[in-house]
Amino acid sequence: MLAFTWTDFAQQVVSGLATGSIYASLALAIVIIYRSTGVINFAQGEMAMFSTFIAWWLIADPGGPELHLWIGFALTLAISFAGGVALERLVIRPVEGAPVLTIVMVTLGLGIALFGLAAWIWGADTKRFPSAFSTRTVDLGGVIFSIQDVGFIAVTFAAVFCLWLFFRYTKVGLGLRAAAGSRDASRLLGVRVSWMLALAWGLAAMLGALSGVMAAPTIFLDPNMMRGVLLYAFAAAVLGGLDSPIGAVVGGLVLGVTLNLLGTYVSFFGGEMRLVGGLVVILGVLYFRPAGLFGKTAVRRV
Amino acid sequence: MKRRLSLNAFLAAAFIAAGTALAGSTADPGVSGDSILVGGTAPISGEASSAAAVARGAEAYFKSINDAGGVNKRKIEYKYLDDGYDPARTVQDVRQLVQQDGVFALFNTLGTNNNLAVRDFLNQSGVPQLFVASGANTWGADFKKYPWTIGFIPSYVLEGTVYGRYVVKSFPTLKLAVLYQDDDYGRDMVAGLKKGLGAKAKQIVSLVGYDPTAASVASQVAQLKASKANAFLIFAFGKFAVQASREAALLGWKPKLVIVNAVASSANLMTLGDLAGGKAINKGAISIAILKDPTDPKWAKDPGLALERKILKRYLPAANPKDGYYVAGMASAISMVDVLRRAGKNPTRALVIKAARSMNQLKHPLVIPGIVVKTSPTDGFPIEQVALQRWTNGHWATFGPLLTDKS
Amino acid sequence: MTTVPGLRGRAAASAISAALFVALVALLPLVLDDFEASQYAYVAIYFIAICGLNILTGYTGQISLGHGAFMAVGGYTTAILAAKAGVPYLLTIPLAGIVAGVAGLLLAVPALRLSGLYLALATFGVALATPALIKKYPDLTGGSTGLSFDLVSAPSWLGLSTNDWFYYLTWTIALCSLAAAWLLLRGRTGRAFRAVRDSEVAAVSFGVHLPTYKMLAFSVSAFYAGIAGALFAIVNLSYVSPETFALRLSVYLVVGTVAAGLGSLWGIVFGALLIEWLTVPSFEVATVSRTDLVDIVNAVARTSIDPQALGISDFVFGAVLIGVMLLLPTGAGGLLRRGVTALTDRLYTRGRPTS
Repeated sequence: MLAFTWTDFAQQVVSGLATGSIYASLALAIVIIYRSTGVINFAQGEMAMFSTFIAWWLIADPGGPELHLWIGFALTLAISFAGGVALERLVIRPVEGAPVLTIVMVTLGLGIALFGLAAWIWGADTKRFPSAFSTRTVDLGGVIFSIQDVGFIAVTFAAVFCLWLFFRYTKVGLGLRAAAGSRDASRLLGVRVSWMLALAWGLAAMLGALSGVMAAPTIFLDPNMMRGVLLYAFAAAVLGGLDSPIGAVVGGLVLGVTLNLLGTYVSFFGGEMRLVGGLVVILGVLYFRPAGLFGKTAVRRV
Repeated sequence: MKRRLSLNAFLAAAFIAAGTALAGSTADPGVSGDSILVGGTAPISGEASSAAAVARGAEAYFKSINDAGGVNKRKIEYKYLDDGYDPARTVQDVRQLVQQDGVFALFNTLGTNNNLAVRDFLNQSGVPQLFVASGANTWGADFKKYPWTIGFIPSYVLEGTVYGRYVVKSFPTLKLAVLYQDDDYGRDMVAGLKKGLGAKAKQIVSLVGYDPTAASVASQVAQLKASKANAFLIFAFGKFAVQASREAALLGWKPKLVIVNAVASSANLMTLGDLAGGKAINKGAISIAILKDPTDPKWAKDPGLALERKILKRYLPAANPKDGYYVAGMASAISMVDVLRRAGKNPTRALVIKAARSMNQLKHPLVIPGIVVKTSPTDGFPIEQVALQRWTNGHWATFGPLLTDKS
Repeated sequence: MTTVPGLRGRAAASAISAALFVALVALLPLVLDDFEASQYAYVAIYFIAICGLNILTGYTGQISLGHGAFMAVGGYTTAILAAKAGVPYLLTIPLAGIVAGVAGLLLAVPALRLSGLYLALATFGVALATPALIKKYPDLTGGSTGLSFDLVSAPSWLGLSTNDWFYYLTWTIALCSLAAAWLLLRGRTGRAFRAVRDSEVAAVSFGVHLPTYKMLAFSVSAFYAGIAGALFAIVNLSYVSPETFALRLSVYLVVGTVAAGLGSLWGIVFGALLIEWLTVPSFEVATVSRTDLVDIVNAVARTSIDPQALGISDFVFGAVLIGVMLLLPTGAGGLLRRGVTALTDRLYTRGRPTS
């Protein structure tokens, strides 16, 4: 096993924060939908992947418009928002009142369909994706980290902050919280509940796009890109509390670091067993603290 | 009730018609006076769907042969079914091909477990399982127990052994760090590596596996670098290999030797790695080559690849000509046609498997020149030679003599 | 007990329905060809698994996205016993069920503390981790290359083909499983299960010991899945591998269970047929197979989409799944409930997220 040095330890922590921010940003999207609609969106990863392909087409595809990076990103976010709203209207709304498990199955089908569509349109070969931040690295006492990873974490926290502002200080945000809390009461107060749910999906789609676009420079773009991330994103959301955005982000970062350390220093969890490590974390948290680190109540939904 | 006229209904009709017309000519199913029906499975859907190009490449080649008159005046019908890389589905598909469609033989079925799932059944039923698209060692090693099954590409064990012997010969003092995909393929390569290293296996100072469903291998690469090894062996697949070289470069690691396994070393992926920041790592990296790489400028004027490109353009115009999977499929198909031809004017399953066990293709158009596709009653591996190659100036350059796991 | 008006009529209709079903199962092979009989064997296997999941999800309201793991336990038990201990394959079937049932009991203990989507996520994680765990102990399980045991053939005195034997073996067990489930659910246990689902508070106040019944449901459903897994290994040409029981299997089972809806025999049949139809593109029900869908779209929309093009098969799968859920939000059982009576009683309240 690896001999322990502080530098190596710190390197694994740094690397864990970088991977963790991928989990965190996707977990954020998952939490937004769960909080607003009570549904776990199994298509979140594929939606993020699809958005990233759109961004790729806008920015990096030689056969596409080849827009400037930031313009392409902004456009992708807008398109993703619209796409999320459209998906909710088309596919989720018809089953809004159905048993939760039915809705979960719909999201599952959605994920598979999006995977197929992406593969059909853009092919399966691995693609490069440009980074929004400099790829320069900084060496701090033997520990190396890249500006890009720092940028990713910063953007994720900024997103949480913006969400907080939105939920707290805007009328629409307030409406969304109300709709999440009690639909009937909100309707009585004039909140257009149905559109709030669509809005939640639009927001989540945007967050997913952010996640994909930030992660793709490191993990490279192909239709399978987010497949491995989804379980860890769920684990992060559960760890942080399924109804807490800040919890999702902290949960993701903690998970990234924990899995790295487990995988590196505990030989049982090396290699393929790292996945099992993720499972152990979920089960452990659910057993001892069902509400997660930041969650409020262990909501019972059937 | 109207039934859609499906291919197999047509073939069944053709078979019956031909059978009554040429009563007593052949006893095996799938062969008629003017066609041979060959079956296979491929992951057309699911996460491994990029590998389906192997089947499509083979199909395109068969079409080109058919347009030129076929093999011994018979057209090859290649029916492949989607198994989504799920061995349970492969079973259902193969059962259908053998029992309902009446195929003559199985060809180019993809995936190790997928083929293992049906091997007993096919051997018991006397159905040839030809040119299995998998790098497991057992197809060649166990051919006496399973005479109806034959592989094609060299095994991952062989590849690992070649690397091990190369290290012993040219870099005996280096400390090795190995990143491997933690499944059959990666583990086979590691086993081969240790075999090739022999007594020098203790030079491996760090052996780190990663889960194929992971998002990133950054942590593993960091762990490997921390072992202070000065050689980096990448037994990873697809984008993980690209990530690995990128991460290693970002961490400032400067190993004296980098080895990248063949599946991940297409010129396409290596260039991707170069552009994404892994250039310093990729420079001078070593790998092996068996088939000609369509993205390598070295083969720009090669007649074998020119034929491949022509066939793709004609029968699969939407195909990406840079995709090495098409080459792999066509390479198998070329050998298949050779076997069918040598099985003679009245092929039976027994004759076909006999032909498959006595191959001697000296000038296969798609393999690296010098490699011979050869089998015999004591040799169950069609391809056992590989060429070493080095990544220089953005392309691969082969060097040295052809190697096997024994030389 | 006073009789509810129409109860006797409903009971008679149930009995006729069941008899019809048994007759259909017995006679279907006469219209199928030999190969197609093997496909229907898989339908029987899924039927058994969905029966079990129905008990768990429909009756006690616990969601499991990980029952593929119990099928794996069953399948591997059969393979290990047959390959390494020479146990006759028929004997391994109940043993596989028992081992899986015990595993279910063990998993049920931590599951008691979880509910709803938390339980779903936890079981999802178990399903995902199963292949890795199987590979971790290669001496027992054969590792990544899987485990083979002797190919099964029909007993000679029956004079059946292997595929027909698979058909009758699996469907006989399926019918027995259904009967057992029915007996279990019509009595006190069934009422207790329903009470757990509808209101845990009320159940407790009526003296239902929650943990016992929850664990029982888990264990029984795992037992069923184990039997299904054992049969799966046998029908799968006597080979099991970690990939055979990957996450997708658990997902298929839930799809089948949701499509089945609650408490309806024909619903479960529908769910089982749906799984086979979705996963095997050439499987035809009433001569329509999944690949035919693309042809239909091409005919209607004048497009020329190649069904074998990259991604199309997945897209069709996803689209069909969405479509089925949109059309049948409470499953086939929900639809049938309004018509002719089903075997057991009413069920699922419409779930709505509440605070």
